[in-house]
Amino acid sequence: MSINLDQAQQTFIVEARELLQAMEQSLLQLESEPGDQNAIGAVFRAAHTIKGSAGLFGLEPIVSFTHIVEDVLDRLRDASVAVDATLIAVLLKSGDHMLELIDVVASRGEALQTPALEREAALRQALSAYQGADHAVAGVPMTSVVNDTQGDVLWHLSLRFGVDVFRNGMDPLSFLRYLDTLGRILQVTTLTDRLPALDSWDAESCYLGFEIDLRSAASHATLNEVFDFVRDDCEVHISAVDDTPFETAPGGTELVAQPEQLAPAPQRVATNSEAKPRDGNYVRVNADKLDELINLVGELVIASAGASLLARSCTNDPLQEATSTVSGLVEEILDGALHLRMIPIGDTFNRFRRVVRDVSQELGKDIDLLISGAETELDKTVVEKIGDPLMHLLRNAMDHGIENATARREAGKPSKGHLSLNAYHDSGSIVIEIADDGAGLNRERILAKAQERGLVATGAQLTDQEIYNLIFEPGFSTAEAVTNLSGRGVGMDVVKRNITLLRGTVDLDSRPGQGTVVRIRLPLTLAIINGFLVGIDQSTYVIPLDMVQECIELDEPQRQSSRDQGYLDLRGEVLPLVDLREHFSHEGPPARRQNVVVVRYAEHKAGLVVDDLLGEFQTVIKPLGKLFGALRGISGSTILGSGAVALILDVPALLSQIVQLEARTAQAPQSPSVVVR
Amino acid sequence: MGAVTPSRHTAVMADEDAQYLTFMLGGEMFAIGILGIKEIIEYGSLTVVPMMPAFVRGVINLRGAVVPVVDLSARFGRQNSAITRRSCVVIIEARADDGQPQDIGLLVDTVSAVQEIPAAQIEPPPSFGARIRADFISGMAKVEGKFVIVLEVDKVLSIDEMSSLAEAGQMPALDADAR
Repeated sequence: MSINLDQAQQTFIVEARELLQAMEQSLLQLESEPGDQNAIGAVFRAAHTIKGSAGLFGLEPIVSFTHIVEDVLDRLRDASVAVDATLIAVLLKSGDHMLELIDVVASRGEALQTPALEREAALRQALSAYQGADHAVAGVPMTSVVNDTQGDVLWHLSLRFGVDVFRNGMDPLSFLRYLDTLGRILQVTTLTDRLPALDSWDAESCYLGFEIDLRSAASHATLNEVFDFVRDDCEVHISAVDDTPFETAPGGTELVAQPEQLAPAPQRVATNSEAKPRDGNYVRVNADKLDELINLVGELVIASAGASLLARSCTNDPLQEATSTVSGLVEEILDGALHLRMIPIGDTFNRFRRVVRDVSQELGKDIDLLISGAETELDKTVVEKIGDPLMHLLRNAMDHGIENATARREAGKPSKGHLSLNAYHDSGSIVIEIADDGAGLNRERILAKAQERGLVATGAQLTDQEIYNLIFEPGFSTAEAVTNLSGRGVGMDVVKRNITLLRGTVDLDSRPGQGTVVRIRLPLTLAIINGFLVGIDQSTYVIPLDMVQECIELDEPQRQSSRDQGYLDLRGEVLPLVDLREHFSHEGPPARRQNVVVVRYAEHKAGLVVDDLLGEFQTVIKPLGKLFGALRGISGSTILGSGAVALILDVPALLSQIVQLEARTAQAPQSPSVVVR
Repeated sequence: MGAVTPSRHTAVMADEDAQYLTFMLGGEMFAIGILGIKEIIEYGSLTVVPMMPAFVRGVINLRGAVVPVVDLSARFGRQNSAITRRSCVVIIEARADDGQPQDIGLLVDTVSAVQEIPAAQIEPPPSFGARIRADFISGMAKVEGKFVIVLEVDKVLSIDEMSSLAEAGQMPALDADAR
């Protein structure tokens, strides 16, 4: 083929995986609404496309298996088979098997392992029950026909490529080349009778047809597969010619009639046109290229900030105007670039439908998954990395959280358990909630376990919240029985660690008998934040702007009283203060004028005492590297327009650090206090 | 990107493993192999990172990358180096235990020269008496009749060790995972 096969195959693998995922979605949809014609159509299309593409690459195992699946789906479509739970289960497993087959291709593995082959045989068996009598014969031999050589047959192929073939990204020539690999092309007659006059010629349209004589050992079905990709807008007729190879080339206007071939074509055209507009709206871009672009935009932001700073320092009005226009544009580019990386979390959520279905069946519990906020967008890297922790939490909720039907009825709850996944934006971060209506956490048991493990001193007074969050400690599991799914005590601490790595936090709330809610709070993006610059001494710090509520000046009397009390009266509200100068042990006397930046994170509110307020600044986050891995309260750094490095405050970590320090100093007042009062 | 301090690349590019950069620190001369050295820049515009051990001086902007600067003297457990007009930052590519490269700046009093030191003139390190940790020393080189300590850069700039020191420095005050 003229195209790079390797690359095309990669595309095929990616697409096939996506299609399988879509297929799974539709199957689950079908399970809840058995009559959904759209879902049936979608499942069929997915299988059909995979089969077609796999055929183009000669991936025989995929083609032959998918063929059977497609057959069953076809019968489902024309309602000769009814949707039932067993069929869905078989089809879901078939989907898994197809994924496995594709993975084999992706990893360039040789063939499936024996267990997988056994599974395949079982699936074929199960599927054949749904195949019609005629199909059952047609489906299975397809592979065998290819394998056993009946000897070469002379085939005559009549091809009429559709006008849009080029526009759909197909090259007729590649089909001819591929045919050549299947056998020996004896003769090709190119039909040019559809060519229009030169002035009405559209260079992007295909007007050609071919009459081909091919001597090949391949079966009719195999040859037919070759054209799966273009079947929708082309006419293809394949017939065996008994003899006399060189005289059969017809005038080229008459197509060999094969009415049963023509019948399914219009249907497929219809289904395909639905899918097309979707393809047109998206461009597939390599994630690395995107990252590179965003990095560059980040540098651009810094450079443009530097330019503005220089422009402001010289009294040249036109120059200042020009730089401010540039800055405005750069900001827009930045927003746009960042938006490119934002994807809705819905895809991740939907993946869990299958998990919930399978796990609930395995556990013998009836569990419903409710998804809301699927359209909430967040950074692609975050989305990718949040999948595993969420999976863990869901499994935990299903295994430990939700009771079995009997226990639920005894507790006066509906026997069907409910699990909900919800996502929403809240002050510059995204919150993902996993809630179940199960038994809730057993406070006493967690406490007992924690004391047994020495995590908590006996007699220590802990709030419910603190006790519940103990389950995020390493090696902590209260499950009495270790099941397949969870209970080994690996998991919750990993969940917490993964979320912390994403600069997020996780929090758990539980009510006995009513259920548990796990709340994950994540930053929207990992690359760039809107920051508020503050100065302490010669140093500059950046506070994420989403957390800044307001700024107030700290006048002398207030300063004195706040120094004594450690809090400020903010319009009748108590606002605890943190003197960053002392917390960060900056030497030297405090500035004559000090300011308070009021920050809010989740339910915490605090005032940070700083020297100067330096204004807003869009900052590219530069990680500080492993050396500063243990540093709390500072999440990264950024480069200012002046070229100096500024540190970005990690407000949540800073606040929790201070809360802990206060608790500590309250317990042991003689210990030297680092925190300011 | 603002004004970056002009960098003076080490002039010698020849790939002979017997070449060393010698520099002064607290009146003593040290040497490190030049292969790990990326460049030498003047000391300037450093941002202090709070709550870090004394040997982490801060971070600098190296053409858009944020690079930590380690005060070598403090790393040896001595006083922080005093900044003079001749203070330099030697940028070294260090490796964490997981193989991730990271640039680290090494604050030294003055850089002296790039010298070829034949392997025969390098003695094994003494087990004590050099007043710095024995595992920091890869050998004692004889240069112009005087001993020069050749440093084991991987040990001196072990990111894992330094970050655990940083963690330990924070822990007594924090013990953040206790709850």
